[in-house]
Amino acid sequence: MQFAKYIGRKVLWYLAALIVALLLNFILPRLVPGNPVDAIVSNMSRGGGATGEQMKAVYNNYMQQFGLDKPMWEQFLIYLSNLAHGNLGTSFAQYPASVNKLVGQALPWSIAIQLPAILVGWIVGNLLGAVAAFRGGWFDRGAFVGSLFASSMPYYCLAILLLYIVGVKLGVLPISGAYSFGLSPEPTLAFFGDAITYWWLPFWSLVIVFVGGQAVGMRSMSIYELGADYVNYGRGLGLRDNRIVRYIFRNAMLPQVTGLALSIGGIVGGALITELVFSYPGIGTTLFNAISQNDYPVIQAITLIITVAVLAANFLVEIAYGLIDPRIRAAQTGDR
Amino acid sequence: MTRLLEATHLTAAYQTGGVEVRAVDDVSVHIDEGEVLGVAGESGCGKSTLGAILSLTARAPLYVESGTLVIDGQSQDLAVGSRIPRTWRGSVVSLLPQGAMNSISPTLRVRTLVYDVMRAHNARISKNEALDRARDRLKELELPVRVLDAYPHQLSGGMKQRVVTIISTLLNPRLLIADEPTSALDVSSQKALIDMLKQMLEQKIMSGVVFVTHDLPVLRTVSDRIAVMYAGKIAEIGPAEEIATGPKHPYSAALLNSVLVPEPAFRKKRVRGIPGSPPNLANPPAGCRFHPRCGLVMPDCRTKEPPHVGDELTFSACFWSAQHPGEAVPADKAVPRHIDDPTELDLPAAGATPAHAATTEGANA
Repeated sequence: MQFAKYIGRKVLWYLAALIVALLLNFILPRLVPGNPVDAIVSNMSRGGGATGEQMKAVYNNYMQQFGLDKPMWEQFLIYLSNLAHGNLGTSFAQYPASVNKLVGQALPWSIAIQLPAILVGWIVGNLLGAVAAFRGGWFDRGAFVGSLFASSMPYYCLAILLLYIVGVKLGVLPISGAYSFGLSPEPTLAFFGDAITYWWLPFWSLVIVFVGGQAVGMRSMSIYELGADYVNYGRGLGLRDNRIVRYIFRNAMLPQVTGLALSIGGIVGGALITELVFSYPGIGTTLFNAISQNDYPVIQAITLIITVAVLAANFLVEIAYGLIDPRIRAAQTGDR
Repeated sequence: MTRLLEATHLTAAYQTGGVEVRAVDDVSVHIDEGEVLGVAGESGCGKSTLGAILSLTARAPLYVESGTLVIDGQSQDLAVGSRIPRTWRGSVVSLLPQGAMNSISPTLRVRTLVYDVMRAHNARISKNEALDRARDRLKELELPVRVLDAYPHQLSGGMKQRVVTIISTLLNPRLLIADEPTSALDVSSQKALIDMLKQMLEQKIMSGVVFVTHDLPVLRTVSDRIAVMYAGKIAEIGPAEEIATGPKHPYSAALLNSVLVPEPAFRKKRVRGIPGSPPNLANPPAGCRFHPRCGLVMPDCRTKEPPHVGDELTFSACFWSAQHPGEAVPADKAVPRHIDDPTELDLPAAGATPAHAATTEGANA
């Protein structure tokens, strides 16, 4: 009824935002000076042996292949129709590899580090913050200063530190890549055991920073809620402490839920530098390479995925907010 | 009348940054079955702190240093470190806060809180039983049952306060500690709440009420006895009408003199403030704490603790009343008359409020 109508209206808004994002997504890489075909052709001609006439033919052939000879609006329509068929195009730089395949190879690695890092970081961080606020004293001071330090440190600094200390100095864990040379990704226990040693360092470098940020936020929200009237009243009614903490948690959690959803939305591009530091074959590394090679279809595909993920996360936040906080639900549906 | 509650030697202090502020200092309160005890006083006199001690909700930075609560023959030490059973709160004594604000968590439906409260005292109660109890209460008191399904933001201030009152009394507490429940309400909601409390007392839902407020006219209508607090001590305690018409402590006389009551007898009355301000409780004056502002001060007041004149239900802690037993304090002598004191002035008739009286530069000499 009211709520369904509200969701319907939101869906329309998000669709409009998606279309605008698609348009920008299409135009922006094409505004970058230089043409990918120029790069390919000049690479080929470096070897010598080809005449100007042949180069011209190769150039025209590529322009046709990629559809770059057509006017911009037509390219956009082709792009849209390909998208509708789930086809992200062909990579320019790694021709003739399809973008679907490139992204499909990279995405699982990014999700494998970030999703656990975000979930673990969110849960641990919020518990730490709430407990620190509740306990007070030295525990609170230690947790607060530690969290503040962790959250204000740029995450690539932590990544480099971890890489240097654990990987290089101690030599406990491998320093780059996602699995040992000579293995290929397959669902076996042996491969998993190998890959997980490569997984720990990027995972920790993300978790520590994330825990810090969540704990700092949760702590201040909880301290604010601890002073609320309903806490005192609950005690006056003889409620158990854990019941009251649950009330506090629910109220203090609101801003944290936004943080969680937005981080999940940012998974795709969120750890670009971390992936580069550890040479992890995730989406961040793929994006970085694509940008340096002017590989429009790959850049577009990745930014498209980022856009969709962020939009979807925002949408879910709005729904979740309505479910958690009745005041927001009332404002959303216009019902008091 | 049987005795409901005896709270003796209550002492509690706020400890902040090395400073100890003793907000309630060796106070004893006795309440009879079926009685409403009003607690009055200026801001910072310790009346809300007394409410927190009696409702067993004192928490840091407030520490109870000593005190014993005897209720229904059960005795409970209140000092820090003593284990107060959790279930006493809510079922033996219950707190009724100023509920118009945030007394119910904003993300909680009223029925969830009702169930949580019932469950906290009886682990085996089912959700339906708990809600039936609340539904019956609401019907008895002629309130709409649908408030149970509401979130607090959907209720008006007056309704929220009545709902909170029902939740506070769900478990039929022996004593209800009402801390300024009417303060944020308009006059008609105040009346509705007071009528409801009286109805609940008649139905013996609770057996006694401690009603804390700074609103003297409300206090006069609601209480059987009134305790007037000053600087952490009880200055005077006695039947409401006696305090209102013939106070035996200079402070109660001065306090009553600073308020207008819309009754014919008050038409020609002088309204005046009390010169000076309440003492800093981190360092209270020696002897009687009111002596620096008292119009009837005598040498003993400055050094010695004033005697309690009367019995434990009705007394005045004052040297003047010790010398004038049974006499009311002459209203015009309760506070000193200083020429340079701008707070003293004559009010022509009704129309002005005490707030004006305290701020207007007056022409009285």
